[in-house]
Amino acid sequence: MRRGRSELHTLAGAYALDAVSDEDRARFERHLAHCDSCAQEIRGLREATARIGASAAVRPRPELKNQALSAAARTRQLPPVSRDAPAARRGWRGLLAGARGRAGLWSPRLAAALTAGFLVIAVAMAVLMVGTQHRLDADQVRGRAIAAVLNASDVIMLTAKVTTGGTATILESTREHSLVFTAARLRALPAGSSYELWLMGPEGTRSAGMLPASRAGMIGPMVVSGLAAGEDVGLTVEPAGGAARPTSAMIMKLGLVR
Amino acid sequence: MTHNQGGPRRDPATEPGSAGEPATADLAVLLTRVARGDQVAYEEVYDQLAGPVLGMVRRVVRDLAQSEEVMQEVLLELWRTASRFDRDKGSAASWVMTIAHRRAIDRVRSEQKSAERELRAASAQIDYDEVTETALATLDRERVRRCMESLTELQRESVTLAYYGSYTYDEVAGLLGVATGTVKTRMRDGLIRLRDCLGVD
Repeated sequence: MRRGRSELHTLAGAYALDAVSDEDRARFERHLAHCDSCAQEIRGLREATARIGASAAVRPRPELKNQALSAAARTRQLPPVSRDAPAARRGWRGLLAGARGRAGLWSPRLAAALTAGFLVIAVAMAVLMVGTQHRLDADQVRGRAIAAVLNASDVIMLTAKVTTGGTATILESTREHSLVFTAARLRALPAGSSYELWLMGPEGTRSAGMLPASRAGMIGPMVVSGLAAGEDVGLTVEPAGGAARPTSAMIMKLGLVR
Repeated sequence: MTHNQGGPRRDPATEPGSAGEPATADLAVLLTRVARGDQVAYEEVYDQLAGPVLGMVRRVVRDLAQSEEVMQEVLLELWRTASRFDRDKGSAASWVMTIAHRRAIDRVRSEQKSAERELRAASAQIDYDEVTETALATLDRERVRRCMESLTELQRESVTLAYYGSYTYDEVAGLLGVATGTVKTRMRDGLIRLRDCLGVD
């Protein structure tokens, strides 16, 4: 090797500024992989360069936003990769467990922020549910299922726009194998049609049930249990009795357990 | 240093510069939602990052149409690869700005001839103080400017020529007529001083 370690180390500034040749970059990255203090220094220098860049912020033309959003809607996303077993896709649960072991991905602070956020949601939904919980035993069972999702340590909230109008919100816990689905402002359907929720995974597509009727523009909360790894959730419009398989295009899709 | 993304002094988008606007959601949390296909979260991420990305890219690429193209590519890339975001390696803003800067530099290096780049070198410096009509006036901008002024002239020139001029350290050394070893050291010392001045760890 042409250069010694200490000489490589002084490359940190140039590297953080992208002021290196491809050859230098490759060499420095090999060095980074084995030098924790260098990696830490690079993190700090990158924060500094990012701030230089961000200070030049300008307002983009507003029409670019819609282009970006529709481009995203058409673009397939990459699944997460495991850092120590890149060949095997370990799924969301494996990723979480692995990250905990390495004190990585999910920092205590993120967890705390998420917990605080979901606590607020949980309280809000609990308040909403107080009225219904007393009505029927079935409602109480459902209430407990909802509470189990909301109180799960790995709960995550996802929101999606329904292409025909309205929004869908999902609170999902991998640990509980369950999700809570709610929707607002969905387009009213003609008699004889109904919204149907689907779980789509490597094993195929299965129905997660028909959405209940809308009350004051809101649907749910509806609990879906028994989620399997690799499943996404989707929504279609079907005949009122429901279909065994989707017969129309998905009007909403979200990734769940990956 | 990797756990304070939500800290008030860390994320430029939550600086008091955006006074009067509601507090912005934590980018790292938004990215975990984006990774699962959450388009509403993506829209929030776009709102927070499109301006900083476009502003920086435009300083590097110069041409507005091309810069917009790079910005859109970067934000689509963000949608596609959100699951790869790793908090251990830094804040979400720094991750995105790093991707964007690399793209901008690649675009310039592959398309521009050295003659044109020399012209840009001259203007990169002047341009730093230029405040365009569309610039988002933030306290952060003022703070970065103040911190840049705290560098020695050689540090500042080295950092600016590299970051906005898209020169490698070898080329910067040639332009400034100093040894490459000196330029490397100045870049690193300059960034360390900036980092400390900006209070990013």
